[in-house]
Amino acid sequence: MSGDVRGWHVALVPETLINPPDALRASLPDVLRLLEDHRYGVLQLPPPGAHGPLLAVIADQVAEYAHHGYAVVALGVQAEPGHGLHWRRLAPLLRHHGVALPPRHLIRPAASAAAEGERLAKFLAGYDLPADEQRRWRV
Amino acid sequence: MEQDKPRKVALVASCLLNQNAKVCQGARYPALVSPVVEALRARGYLLQQLPCPELAFAGVRRWWAVYEQYDTPAYRAHCRRLAQAIAPLIEQYLRRGDELILIGLDGSPSTGVRFTSSKADWGGRPNRPEDDWEIVPRRGIWIEELEAELARRGLPRLPATGWALDMGRFDEAGARRDLEQFLDSRNDAAGQRGEDGVPP
Repeated sequence: MSGDVRGWHVALVPETLINPPDALRASLPDVLRLLEDHRYGVLQLPPPGAHGPLLAVIADQVAEYAHHGYAVVALGVQAEPGHGLHWRRLAPLLRHHGVALPPRHLIRPAASAAAEGERLAKFLAGYDLPADEQRRWRV
Repeated sequence: MEQDKPRKVALVASCLLNQNAKVCQGARYPALVSPVVEALRARGYLLQQLPCPELAFAGVRRWWAVYEQYDTPAYRAHCRRLAQAIAPLIEQYLRRGDELILIGLDGSPSTGVRFTSSKADWGGRPNRPEDDWEIVPRRGIWIEELEAELARRGLPRLPATGWALDMGRFDEAGARRDLEQFLDSRNDAAGQRGEDGVPP
C-alpha cells in the first residue's frame, strides 16, 4: 500500500484507560502514548453498563481486522468490573464471527505506573501474527 | 465531586484513534492521529471514539469512494444502526451536563464535517486518475445520519469541526492550527459564560 503507514495492530481498550478518572490517573501508565509508540490503533470500549448494540458494532469491526491480517489484542484493568472489557457480551459476539479471542493483558493499578508501563510495552512489542499471515496480507 | 462536575467530551471519528480504519493508501499515521489526541488532551477533553461506518460496511480492503457512491439506502440504514448504537452514550453525556464537541474527518465521504468528497461520475472499474474528485462543503453520510439520530432524540446539534486528512493534499500544520482555533474558541466561549474551562 504505497504511502500508507498503518501499524497493522489494534487494541481493544477500556474507557478507563483512555480517560483515566482522577483517582486512578497517577497509578496508570499513559496507555495511549504506549499504544502509539508500538503502532497500535485503538478500538474504545464503552464504560460499564449495558451497551449491547455498541458492542455488536465493535465486534463487527474486530472481525474485519482479525480476518484480514491485523494483530488484535485486548487490554483490561484489574479491579474494574469485567476488567473493563465487557467480555461476557463481547466474547460470544466474536465467536459468532469466527474470531479467536484476542490475547489479553491486564493492567494493575495497585502496582507502580512505571512498572505497569514497562510490562505493557513488553506485551505490545511481543505480539504479532505469524510471519506467513503477515506476508499474506500486508503488501 | 469529580463525578458530578460537567466534563468536556470530544466525539472523535474512529480513524483519529485508529488509522487502521482508513481506506488502503489513506493511513498517514501508524496508530493514532497524535496531533488531534494531543490537542484534545491538553485542553482537558475526554475522548469518545465513534464507530467507523465504512469499515463494517465495505470492509478494511474497500475501494476509495466519494459521497455519491455511499449515498444509498443500504449504507444510510447501516449508518443509522451505528448511530442508534452510540447515541445512548452521547445522550448520557449530554443529560449529565457535559460539554460535547464532534471532531470528524474533512474530505471523507462518510465522516466529513465541513467538507466531503464528491464526483458524480465515479463508478464501475476503479481506474480513476489521482485526485480527480472534488471537495464540496457538505457533511459526509455518517455525520448526516448521526446528527439526524441525535435530533430524533431531541438532542442539540453539537459544535463540530473536521481534521482535514482527506482533502487531497494533507497539510498537517494547517490542520493543527485549524483544530486548535476551533478548540480555543470553545474555551473562550466557555470563559465568557463564566465557566472555568479547567480540565476535569
